[in-house]
Amino acid sequence: MAKNIDKTSSDSENSLCSSSSSPPMSNKYRYMFNRLFRFANSWKKSNSPRGRRIFHRDVEKEEFQYASSHCLSSYYSVFVVRLAIMVMLAILIGLLTILTWHFTKIYTKKSLSSLAYGLRYELLQRPILRMWNILNSTSEITTAQVKLSQYVIRRYSNPASQAEQVELYEAMRAVTWSLFASRKALNSITINYKNGFVQAFHRDLKDNNTFYIYSDLSNYSMVATTSNMLKSISTHQAWDDKTLHGNFSAIWYREPLDPVTGEKIGKAMKIAPEDLINIAGLSQVPDGVATWHVAVSKFTDSPLLSAALPVWDSSNKSIMAVVGVTTAFYSVGQLMRELVEMHSGHMYLTSQQGYLLATSTSAPLLTNSTKPPPKLKMAVDCEDEIIRLGAEWLQRTYGNHFPNSTHEVHVENAKLGNQQYYIDSFYLNLKRLPLVGVIIIPRKYIMGQVDERSFKTLVILISASLCIFVIGCVCILILTNGVSKEMNLRAELISQLEARRKAEASSNYKSQFLANMSHELRTPMAAVIGLLDILISDDCLTNEQYSTVTQIRKCSTALLRLLNNILDLSKVESGKLVLEDAEFDLGRELEGLVDMFSVQCINHNVETVLDLSDDMPKLVRGDSGRVVQVFANLINNSIKFTTSGHVILRGWCEYPNSCNDSPNFYLDQKKSRNLHKSKEKPNASHAKRISMRDNKVILWFEVEDTGCGIDPSKWDSVFESFEQADPSTTRLHGGTGLGLCIVRNLVNKMGGEIKVTKKEGQGTLMRLCLLLSAPVDVTEQHALNLTDNGLVVLLALQGNMGRIITSKWLTKKGVCTMEASEWNGLTQILRELFHARSSIHNSNNFDAHYPINLEGFKSKLLSIKDMRNPIFVIVVDIGLLDLSTDIWKEQLNFLHKYFGRAKFVWMLNHDTSNTIKTELRRKGHLLMVNKPLYKAKMIHILEAVIKERNHELQKKNMKEGDLHEFLEIDSTHFDAATSSDDSDISEISEKPIVKLTNENEHLEENNSRKEESCSSEEKKAKETNFATQGYDRVTRTRKEVNDKKSLEGLRILLAEDTPVIQRVATIMLEKMGAVVVAVGDGQQAVDALNYMASAEDCRRESLQKDRNTRSQTEILTCHQYDLILMDCQMPKMDGYEATKEIRKSEEGTGKHIPIVALTAHAMSCDEAKCLKVGMDAYLTKPIDFKLMVSTILSLTKPTN
Amino acid sequence: MYSVAQLVEYTSSLFQQGFLDDQFNQLQLLQDESNPNFVVEVVTLFFEDAEKLLNQLEKEIGQENNIDFKRVDALVHQLKGSSSSIGAQRVQRVCIAFKNYCEEKNVEGCFKSLQDIKQEYTLVKTKFETLFKMEQQIFAAGGSAPR
Repeated sequence: MAKNIDKTSSDSENSLCSSSSSPPMSNKYRYMFNRLFRFANSWKKSNSPRGRRIFHRDVEKEEFQYASSHCLSSYYSVFVVRLAIMVMLAILIGLLTILTWHFTKIYTKKSLSSLAYGLRYELLQRPILRMWNILNSTSEITTAQVKLSQYVIRRYSNPASQAEQVELYEAMRAVTWSLFASRKALNSITINYKNGFVQAFHRDLKDNNTFYIYSDLSNYSMVATTSNMLKSISTHQAWDDKTLHGNFSAIWYREPLDPVTGEKIGKAMKIAPEDLINIAGLSQVPDGVATWHVAVSKFTDSPLLSAALPVWDSSNKSIMAVVGVTTAFYSVGQLMRELVEMHSGHMYLTSQQGYLLATSTSAPLLTNSTKPPPKLKMAVDCEDEIIRLGAEWLQRTYGNHFPNSTHEVHVENAKLGNQQYYIDSFYLNLKRLPLVGVIIIPRKYIMGQVDERSFKTLVILISASLCIFVIGCVCILILTNGVSKEMNLRAELISQLEARRKAEASSNYKSQFLANMSHELRTPMAAVIGLLDILISDDCLTNEQYSTVTQIRKCSTALLRLLNNILDLSKVESGKLVLEDAEFDLGRELEGLVDMFSVQCINHNVETVLDLSDDMPKLVRGDSGRVVQVFANLINNSIKFTTSGHVILRGWCEYPNSCNDSPNFYLDQKKSRNLHKSKEKPNASHAKRISMRDNKVILWFEVEDTGCGIDPSKWDSVFESFEQADPSTTRLHGGTGLGLCIVRNLVNKMGGEIKVTKKEGQGTLMRLCLLLSAPVDVTEQHALNLTDNGLVVLLALQGNMGRIITSKWLTKKGVCTMEASEWNGLTQILRELFHARSSIHNSNNFDAHYPINLEGFKSKLLSIKDMRNPIFVIVVDIGLLDLSTDIWKEQLNFLHKYFGRAKFVWMLNHDTSNTIKTELRRKGHLLMVNKPLYKAKMIHILEAVIKERNHELQKKNMKEGDLHEFLEIDSTHFDAATSSDDSDISEISEKPIVKLTNENEHLEENNSRKEESCSSEEKKAKETNFATQGYDRVTRTRKEVNDKKSLEGLRILLAEDTPVIQRVATIMLEKMGAVVVAVGDGQQAVDALNYMASAEDCRRESLQKDRNTRSQTEILTCHQYDLILMDCQMPKMDGYEATKEIRKSEEGTGKHIPIVALTAHAMSCDEAKCLKVGMDAYLTKPIDFKLMVSTILSLTKPTN
Repeated sequence: MYSVAQLVEYTSSLFQQGFLDDQFNQLQLLQDESNPNFVVEVVTLFFEDAEKLLNQLEKEIGQENNIDFKRVDALVHQLKGSSSSIGAQRVQRVCIAFKNYCEEKNVEGCFKSLQDIKQEYTLVKTKFETLFKMEQQIFAAGGSAPR
């Protein structure tokens, strides 16, 4: 795991290093890093090999989960990563440094040391060669001297006389001098004769004097010598001693010589024997061969190398004399000094025993003791510090074996004193005089530069690497700081997310709570309302009590409506709202809505106008109740805030395939709409995309009012719950602010959108689109051809908007239309119209100053005159008449003059008094419609007019007069709706029925579906009963709803296991006149049904545990059940199962028996469950009397 | 002898104490000439039903270790339905609590609720019995029960 982190982080490190260097780019890099990090995270946490193709959101989600649980540990991991990266960096840099340093150093060192070795070897070789040379030359001279001496001595062998002897010596002196002079390097040459005579040449190198030394001849006798010689053959030692002793007594002379010529230049001086030089004696040639040894003289401070050879007589039997040659080592020392001057260091030569022979220093080689003779110093006693230390070191290291060992010593790091030295030694194996050469060179001389350089390099490298390390660490710190900041942010985000989740959950709980609460609240409310109804229906109430109770009833209804709103809202919010999908007539629904609201509007001078375009599909699929609810809320809202002016509901349709705009019917709105269109493009295109499949249409609606308007800043917030544009209006208008929220939720749910749009002038313009699917054969156009009938319509209406819209529509349809907005205008137009035809009515009292002399009007008049047999339809608003006084009767009379020539259609208010109605009827004005006027009504009016005329034309020939017509567009159902006991708004959607009642042609002219069902009325007595009942219901007032026997004749199967509830329900239903069969469980219910179906002729209630007091026979006479009340939870088979069973058995038979669920579960999900299994409605326990009756009625109604 | 006023007072006290709710009123409304003893009948039915249910419940709960909560829930549900139908509000309320415990599978809560239900049931039973006795006496005396 840690490895992974390291890996990825080292990856990221690269990117980050650069990121720190370029701050503006850092975001990008951070992003990269984030990705890497995320990758690492996902990799880390999931052992499964997920890779980085994890869907981004998934990763994030997982990450959040991961991070939320591992938030702390990730903090630690950041620190670990930080540490690990630093350590890695340190190791890397350290390694690099060391390697660099190592390579640079080692190679130079190696080559240098090999070079240095050569140098040292060379250095040492040269003095040794010199030494060798010296030795060689010495030996050569010795040999030469010996040979010459032999020759001379042999010539003068057996010297007879003193003179001969002297001659011999002279000859010898000459020979010796010549040799001595030829070799300047020689220190001395001595000849020691057998008889003790000594001849010697000596060169004093200090003052460059040459001396001849000889002994006194008189002391030596030949005899003595001979005898001595004989002895000496046997014992050399004895001879030697004797001569030595003898020599003590001898007198030696020294005379200075000219160094070049050898001439005597001074007087001979007596000197002590052996005082000046070593005279090689017999003792030095014990076995007659040449010997070497190092000697020390009193006068020179350097050791001398002396060689001695014996001179044999001719017979080679006895030694005649001993020749000794001495050479100073001075020159070797000189050479060494020269070498050392050039290079540095020290050199010395020692004998095998360790005596110093030559050094490169000027330190004395001899002990400076007072007692003669001076002796050679050991190397370890040398006055020169370095040499002494070197010798000591060698001795310490190699012990006493050192000189004997034949191998050479090369030491590189000998520490002498404070410095390092190279020490090398060579062994020179001379016969009898093995020599050891030692060279000591300070390391500094050879390796000094190198060491210095390497030290410098090391220092630079280390400092550089330290710098890099520090910078790296800083970078890492910055990086990890970024990361940890990121982590911090992330953690914060997670906590935010958590908080949001909680908030959402709590809001969910709230919705849930609201749903439950409102449900719980509904039940007592229903009870209260039910009880109030019971109370109202009671006869023994006084009028005051009645009105109070009615007031309470209204308040309760309002309260329940509010509860329903909350329930709706919470339903939508909690996503439990399921939209119905059923075909409905949108136009009719909206017309009904407008009719309803116009009643409210008329009270405060607001005009309600419905303006639907012709291309609107007649039938759409969707949830009619919800759609109506949307518009009801919107219109209600508009009306609430509009004190005067109008409320318009506009609708048009946008087919996804055709882009052509709404017809030019909306001339005045078209411009603004186009403007909006461009704004709403994205929406539209989105909606279009959706609507491409399954034949969807986008329906656009506008609700416009001239009220107080909404501040643009509140345009969005008005759709929030409990939000009102202006809180101060609450007092004035009431309301909770739930309406628009519900509207928005519903619209969104239906795939649409709603918003407040900018409007010219005062007021509010709400625009919404709904996405509904339309059946393919939607656009069936009105069969009525309005153009050909020669219709002339005069619209005398008060409301401006409604009049303008209607007239435009009519004009578009090819109907000649004229408008008048007040009484004067109307009269003027009437006069203009009928002036040409009849000149009678010039006598009226009204002034004709109404300014309507427009060009259009004139041309219209002309076109009307061209018309052959035109039908004049005059639509008169009852509001045009002056109803406050009795003038209206006059006005009516005036209009009545035109009665024969034109059809009058009266627009009534809902509160138009009966006197006016009867007066109108009396005068024969039978076409009366309630306000407001909208297209469908207009069409019906025109249809009626045309039909009437056709009848007139037909019957003109046959029979006149008796035709008694009554045309009324009935709107009583609105009363039923507004005062309906059921507070559900969807109830309002009850269809507005245009009922054209003609006494003769009742059935033909009736286009209400209820009446249509009457056509089959003769078939069954039972059905007739229901049909009439249904018919009654249409016109029923609220009194009738409370009819005790409203369920008369219904057969109801009650499946309920709890005896108490069973009993209660039974009594309730029986009180309403229904016949109840109660069974104990679902199985019995199913059996009962099956039994009924299979054996209709043999009806028995075998299964029922009937505590019914009604007679069996009555039950038996009934056949099919009209409805089933089904408890949901029952033993054996529960309600859901039973319903499924029943529905299954119904398959193929075409029957559908309504099933109403009864349950104590008051949750909406139960409702959904109930409806899902095929139940038709849903009642909660305890049973609400009123609700049950209305539910049963609504379900049994269509079956008839 | 009880007077009508006493009966009314007693009935309203039952409402005030929360023993009954307006469902009982509805029941009384349903009682008419065709069903003269409707309320008594229904309430008696309720007693029978409730006693049966309570016995079953006791058996179920008494099983200690493996209580079939589903079954208990169903039983309580029935009791709740019937009690709400006669307007025995307090019994109904305890039933709701019982159901909640059932859903939580809270054995102790169930025990407690069972005891509560029993107590409430006996209480309401005695109340009803008193009420009916009063009504009967008034009825026997020739009066009619007030509506």
